[in-house]
Amino acid sequence: MAQIARDSLTAQIEVTTWVTKHVGGDGSGSKLFTEAFAPAETVRQVLRRFTARHPELDAALWSPDHTELGEHIEVVINDAVLGVTHELDSPLKDSDRITLLGQFMGG
Amino acid sequence: MSPTATASRPTTKASAASATVPGYAGKLLRVNLSTGKIWTQPWAEHMREYVGGVGLGAKILYEEVGPKVHWDHPDNRLILATGPLAGLPVWGTGGLSVITRGAQTNGATSTQANGFFGAALKYSGYDAIIVQGQAKKLSYLYINDDVVEVRDASHLKGKDTWETQEALELEHGLSGHRLSVYSIGPAGESLVRFAAIQGDYGHVASKNGCGAVMGKKKLKAVCIVRGTKALTPHDPRGLVQAADDIAHDLKTDPAASTLYRWGTLPGVTNLYKLGALPIKNYTTNLTTVDMSTWEPAKLRNGFDHRGHQCNACGMHHCHIQVIRNGPKAGELVDEPEYEGWSGAGWTIGATDQQGISWLNTRLDRACLDVNEFGWVCGWVMECMEKGYLTEKQVGFKLGWGDIEGANRLIQMISHRQGFGDLLAEGVKRASEKIGGEAAKCAVYTIKGASPRGHDHRGRWEEMLDTCTSSNGTMESANPTHQTEFGQPGRINPFNGEEVAKLVGGILGRKHFEDSLGGCIFTFRSRIEMLARALSAATGWTYTMPEALRLGRRTAAILRAFNLRCGIGTDLEYPSARYGSRPVDGPAKDHNIMDQWEHMVDTWYATVGYDRKTGKPTRETLKKLGLDWLARDLWRK
Repeated sequence: MAQIARDSLTAQIEVTTWVTKHVGGDGSGSKLFTEAFAPAETVRQVLRRFTARHPELDAALWSPDHTELGEHIEVVINDAVLGVTHELDSPLKDSDRITLLGQFMGG
Repeated sequence: MSPTATASRPTTKASAASATVPGYAGKLLRVNLSTGKIWTQPWAEHMREYVGGVGLGAKILYEEVGPKVHWDHPDNRLILATGPLAGLPVWGTGGLSVITRGAQTNGATSTQANGFFGAALKYSGYDAIIVQGQAKKLSYLYINDDVVEVRDASHLKGKDTWETQEALELEHGLSGHRLSVYSIGPAGESLVRFAAIQGDYGHVASKNGCGAVMGKKKLKAVCIVRGTKALTPHDPRGLVQAADDIAHDLKTDPAASTLYRWGTLPGVTNLYKLGALPIKNYTTNLTTVDMSTWEPAKLRNGFDHRGHQCNACGMHHCHIQVIRNGPKAGELVDEPEYEGWSGAGWTIGATDQQGISWLNTRLDRACLDVNEFGWVCGWVMECMEKGYLTEKQVGFKLGWGDIEGANRLIQMISHRQGFGDLLAEGVKRASEKIGGEAAKCAVYTIKGASPRGHDHRGRWEEMLDTCTSSNGTMESANPTHQTEFGQPGRINPFNGEEVAKLVGGILGRKHFEDSLGGCIFTFRSRIEMLARALSAATGWTYTMPEALRLGRRTAAILRAFNLRCGIGTDLEYPSARYGSRPVDGPAKDHNIMDQWEHMVDTWYATVGYDRKTGKPTRETLKKLGLDWLARDLWRK
């Protein structure tokens, strides 16, 4: 039953630029994934499940104890940086889009 | 071409000073262009606290340039300083810091460039050059170890910066790494307020009109033969270990590795997603252009290119490239930094990559700051579109994305021809002069400093930094490994208080970096590693907290200088357009001015400056070991 509920909602996860190296890409462009989730599941839960399948991304995205995000990958939900419209523990809605964007250094 | 002066041989005392502190040359080179006098000054006193680069330059500027000595006064100093890591085997250590009283803010300036200048200067036996006075005719400074001469540069008049370098290479029979040349082009000679100093084909000290200061001194170029003096670090093995750690960090750290691989090219696509790519003079943050064509690999592979690394650098950052197609096919250009793609491209509505690359190099060759040019040119384009400026006023029709028209504007500005004479004053002064609706479209700080080539309405930390800084550009700059000194790894970018605490909390880091004689990009590593490299070079022990403290000392001195020049808290605002609410894109619901006063208050509290007067408090100065400055600033 839980499986049916999870499959009924999906979020798109877009992994961009150098972050794609952690999900089998070449460090450029972007890779799209569709992640099913259950009602009331949060950004944190969906990302944790997604990164569990990608160990390199898991290490790059989270702090060593997995309680917080690390500092080098921006998480953008529907064009808004995390902290603006969503926190890590905010629930997702169907068709929400999560973008993992490599931090940009330089001028 | 006869020499007009020659430096005296170093004294025994000077040599002794250099021997006492490893990593340093131990001497400052002084040049008075008015009298032709050239002399050296031993440097050892206070070296540990001021380090070099901007740290040294700020001290000299404060001590030697009084409030009545404006940017164009002969007594203004043009300080070309490097630091203790320059010339040593750490990546990117050809660094140059230019410190002066600049033409845009008429206040303190610290702006950096790389290439080989810093290394060549150290190998010649000098840690910095301090230029004062004004030559009677256009001149250039020639340095070949102990031979230092002010030479006639009348044959270089009107040449652009690349032509100047080529001419000097030919004249001296030296090229490549054997001769470092930093020069001004026609814009510097014409005293354009946003003229830069360009060197070694594509490296630019661009901020606050330092090229106009050089032009006013009638100094066309500084040309240094790669010297023959040895530099010996205190602990060579420790230095190499620290250098290897820095290189490894740059290659493998998640964020820095993109710099290692692509330099600043990823900025276009990344900042676009955050609403921080300035498009058409801040009139929009959206485009119909396929942004996948702007990813770094595609940007670079669109040209025939090769690496153009700076001193001792292993990054895949700087490149020289050949334009592959279009009307400029076959021309050699330097690969634009992110700010080149922005200022010579998106800001003026141009998206033709070959054209932008060409235009960016035209700016370098003329010696114009690409950021300010973007705000000037974008402003003219918008005003012409809206009818606030006419074809008759400007002299020709200029629309969004017109590369040839933009180049025509470059030439007009560089030679102060027609409407270009007004534009040469920069967009703040030009828009104030035109007034009306046109004035509301201009992007600038009230202080006069040019915003960098981002849309800071989606990057609030940079707008706050640009408006409150004392160096003519951003002073805290991008947060880099900020958790290293207790700052949060991420914040809500539209929460003014969090932004202000972060900007204030990292103040000092960049000034420390800019004191070392290296590159902002190869120093995007952890401060702990940089402090370790500095310790190995000099034999003094530096720690990460001390590094931050030393950087904050520099910030306080630059602030005191500006206050003495009359640049106070009343000027710490963005222009109407710069501080406006974005009309679309990811940042459209966020208006920085709603939180501005609280942000500035929070910033002042964080850095320990007095909100009313702008002065660093007595307590702050005491903590920084600047009692002498406290006596100056707070005397009754």
